[in-house]
Formats: sequence, C-alpha cells, structure tokens
Amino acid sequence: MVGLIGPNGAGKTTVFNLLTGFLRPTRGRVLLDGKDITSQKPHSIAKKGIVRTFQATNLFSNFSVLQNIIAACYLKSKVNFWEAMLHTPSSCKKEEDVLNRALEIMRFVGLDAVKDQPARSLPHGYKRILGIAVSMAADPQLLLLDEPLSGMNAEEANTAVALIRRIWEQGTTVLLIEHNMRAAMNLCQRIIVLEMGSKIAEGSPEEVRANKEVIQAYLGTGKRAT
Amino acid sequence: MSKRKLIKRFSYKVIPFILLFVPLFITQAYVLHLLIMIAINVVLASSLRFVAISGQFSLVHAGMVSIGAYTSTLLVMKLGLSFWAALPLAGLLAMIIALLVGYPFVRLKGIYFTMVTLFLTEFIRLTAEQWRSLTGGVSGIIAIPRPNAVIIPGLLNASFASKTDFYYLALIMVAVTLWVLYAIESSRIGMTFLSIQQSDSLAESLGVNSSGFRVLAFSLGCFFAGIAGAFYSHYLSAITPASFGFLLSIYVFIYMVVGGMQRFSGPIIGACVLTLIPEFARGFKEYEPFVFAAILLLVIFFLRGGLVSLPQSLSYYIKKRWSHA
Repeated sequence: MVGLIGPNGAGKTTVFNLLTGFLRPTRGRVLLDGKDITSQKPHSIAKKGIVRTFQATNLFSNFSVLQNIIAACYLKSKVNFWEAMLHTPSSCKKEEDVLNRALEIMRFVGLDAVKDQPARSLPHGYKRILGIAVSMAADPQLLLLDEPLSGMNAEEANTAVALIRRIWEQGTTVLLIEHNMRAAMNLCQRIIVLEMGSKIAEGSPEEVRANKEVIQAYLGTGKRAT
Repeated sequence: MSKRKLIKRFSYKVIPFILLFVPLFITQAYVLHLLIMIAINVVLASSLRFVAISGQFSLVHAGMVSIGAYTSTLLVMKLGLSFWAALPLAGLLAMIIALLVGYPFVRLKGIYFTMVTLFLTEFIRLTAEQWRSLTGGVSGIIAIPRPNAVIIPGLLNASFASKTDFYYLALIMVAVTLWVLYAIESSRIGMTFLSIQQSDSLAESLGVNSSGFRVLAFSLGCFFAGIAGAFYSHYLSAITPASFGFLLSIYVFIYMVVGGMQRFSGPIIGACVLTLIPEFARGFKEYEPFVFAAILLLVIFFLRGGLVSLPQSLSYYIKKRWSHA
C-alpha cells in the first residue's frame, strides 16, 4: 500500500486524474504492467483494472445502497441488447451472480444494515464507505482512494482504516491520498510526498517523517507537521 | 405499496384489453382519430423519456419525425416500395442519422446538448423546405398512399380505408414501442442509463463507456420517433415541413415533463391528457402554446413529479391537513 501525501494544492488529486484518464498529461506517460495507457478514456482504464474513488462524495444518489453496488458491478455483468430484451436464462443467471456478489461486498464493508436506504440519505461516514464499496465492485487490481477518511469522526475513521487494510490484504494494490497523517503512516508501507506538483520525498513512513524537505513543505505552508 | 402493485397489474392487463375492443363500441371517426393521435404522441413522449433517462434532454424529436415521415413517403411514392418495408427503413434512417450526429453531440452536456439538438431539428426543417425537387418545398407532399392492404384470407382484411384499421396499427405500434422501451429500462442496461444520469464521472470510473451509452439511448429514441413519423405521414396522407418544426419537439417535451419523468407511465399519461385538452378547447386553438406553457409552469411549480405523482401528492397533502386539524 502506497500513500500519496502533500500540502493542499500539491497535485495529489491531479495525479489520480492523470492515472485514470480524467485528465490528459501534457508530458510523460502512464504505464500499467509495462503497457502504455496514457490518455486512454477513463472507462477503458477502469477495464484494465485501475479504479478510483472521488474526493467529493460521488455516488448514484437516488439508488439504494444495494443498487449502487449492483450498478457498479457493470464490468462483471455485461448484458447485451437481446439478453436485456428477452430475459434469457443467461441474463437471469448473470443477474443472480451480480446480486450475490453485491451482497458479498456489502457484507464485507459492513453496510447490510442500511442496504435499502437511498444513498443520498446516508450519514456522511456511510457515504464514504459506500464509495469504497462501489469502487471494489469494479474489481480493481489497483485501487486509488482519494482521501477516504475526510470528514469522518475518530470512530468512523478507525472502521474505514480497518476496511482499507482488509481490502489490501485481499490482494488489491492500494494507492491512498490522505491528510490524516496518523492513518496514512499507519496503513502504508511506502509514502510519496508531493509538493507543487513534483515529488520531494519517497520512502518508508519513518524516512519520510524524518525528511527535512517534507517538514519544510508542511511548515512552510503553515501546516502542522506530524 | 400493494395498492400500487394492484393498480400496476390492472393497467398492464386490463387497459390493453379494453383498448383492443374500443372500435366495436366507438365508431365515430373523430374519436378514433383522437385515439390515433394520442398513440403517436405516446410513442414520441415515451421514446423521448428513454433518451432523458441517460441524463440528456433532446429536442430533435420533431426532426426525427420529419425524417421518418419524408423517408417513408418518398420510398413509397418515388421508389414504389411497400409501406411495410418503408416503415422500418424510416426508423432505421432516423437512427443512423442519430448515430452519426450522436458521437459529436454527446460530448456536450446539459443545456448545450439540448441546444444542438434544437438546431438539428431546425436544420432538418429548413432542408425539407429548400430541397424542393425532392420534398415539394414549403407546400409539402399530398396524396400519400395508404399502407398496402394486409389480407390473410379468413383471418384478417385490413385495407386501411377506415380509421379502425389505422387504430389497430397504431395500437400495435404503441405496444411494441412500450414493450421494447420497458424491457430495456428494467434491465441492467436501463440501470446503467440511470447511473450515468446520476453521476457520469462515477459510472465512467467504473468502466462504463458513458458516451457510448448516451449515443445508444439517443439513437434508439430517435428510431421510434422515425417510426412514428412514417405512420403519421401515411395516416394523414399529407405532410409539410412546418408541421415538424421545433414547436413539436417542445410539445413532446412538455408531454413528458407534465406527465412525469420519473415513472415509465409518466409520458404516457402526459401525452393522453395533453392531446385531449386542446380538443376540448377548440375555440382557443391559436392560444394552444400559451395553454401548454401555463400547464407546464403549473406542474413545475406545484407538482414536481408530474401528473403521475398526483395521487401521491394529494394523499400526502390530505394527511398533512388531517393531522393539523
């Protein structure tokens, strides 16, 4: 698990946007398993296994929790036009598989209690968790989490940290943007520090914590260094 | 909830059944004509909603009706094709044009998409007006032949000389349209449309090719508009470019919004009610757009969910009153 930290405006989210194709880089390339995926459309990058969450809560807000996850299983359950029209046995089988998978994910993240609530009426902490669940449903190899803990109280943050660790333990590579230093240091084996759009440090949490430039970057912008 | 289910089952099974037998009891040509016009408007409003559930408001429906009408008319009159071959071809041409313009169009979001579709409607109307050698210009085309007779000995003898035959054809058109649209909307594909409507960035990040789906919804909606256009031209046997101006697009849009966009039944109810209203107020024919605008504003201000939500809002209102008293 890799953490991406840096002061506000350092370009962390921009990195995510570049990786997932929401923005096109003016220079440089994005490689996945040695293959060039620079400037591809977000949906084809998602198909290749890179899935992101969003910093601002981004859900299908009129759908229930379960529907959100089912909708997010899109890649796993493509139904063609005729299957959809005629409700063929193969499409029914797919529907069933998707439902089971969605229920499994919902249990994994612990949202079963609110499964029929519309996403827009959830408390903030649940919304963030649902955001992670939705991205899991797309079955990523590499999961990009953009400030998953923002706006959470201490208890919610603990739950979320435990969840992220479990996702990582299942074999998903996680790249994490986080302002909560304790959580980031705690979760990540490696941390990359960005400042003004360029990398100023990389290493284990201990190394990064001791790095002079990092301390300067944070103090220089009036932020508290951990 | 169970009450709603009951109403649903009732409307699915009983209403089509009643509609099937209407011509046995009603023989006035005028009433049948109204029902046929309602059928055309139901097809238009429902297919427009199909485009709208993926989050885009199109005003190209009148243009597509025009393309369908002219295509089928010209195929039948100039090339001597049978109506039954020209009808699907008219739909297909509308769909192909929608596919071609769809890719550039769906790059625009929200009001910008609506604007370019509006321009396309006007572009099609002006083309039909100016291309005199083909379309007869402003005066249009008259004496469009009736659909070829369908005769199955002993079973069916539809010569389309009476309104009754047209009524049944319209009924089949509505049934097929609604069935296709409903089947897609209630499937996974429909769910994907709805998810794009709610957040296309999230859908895209989960691997959904959102512009592809938008084009699909757009072109399929336009297919049914083309079919409706072809039917319209052979039913009324005369078409002019002016009858497919942008006002028609706006009307279809109003049918959809007034009926209620959230439910599948919304545009159906909207088309029924709003096709009938001008008929009851014939003396005010010139003021029709004003009446429609007033109805639209009333619905937007007081009945957000459209006419379909009327029972719900009423019961909510009454309950609220009751508890206060």
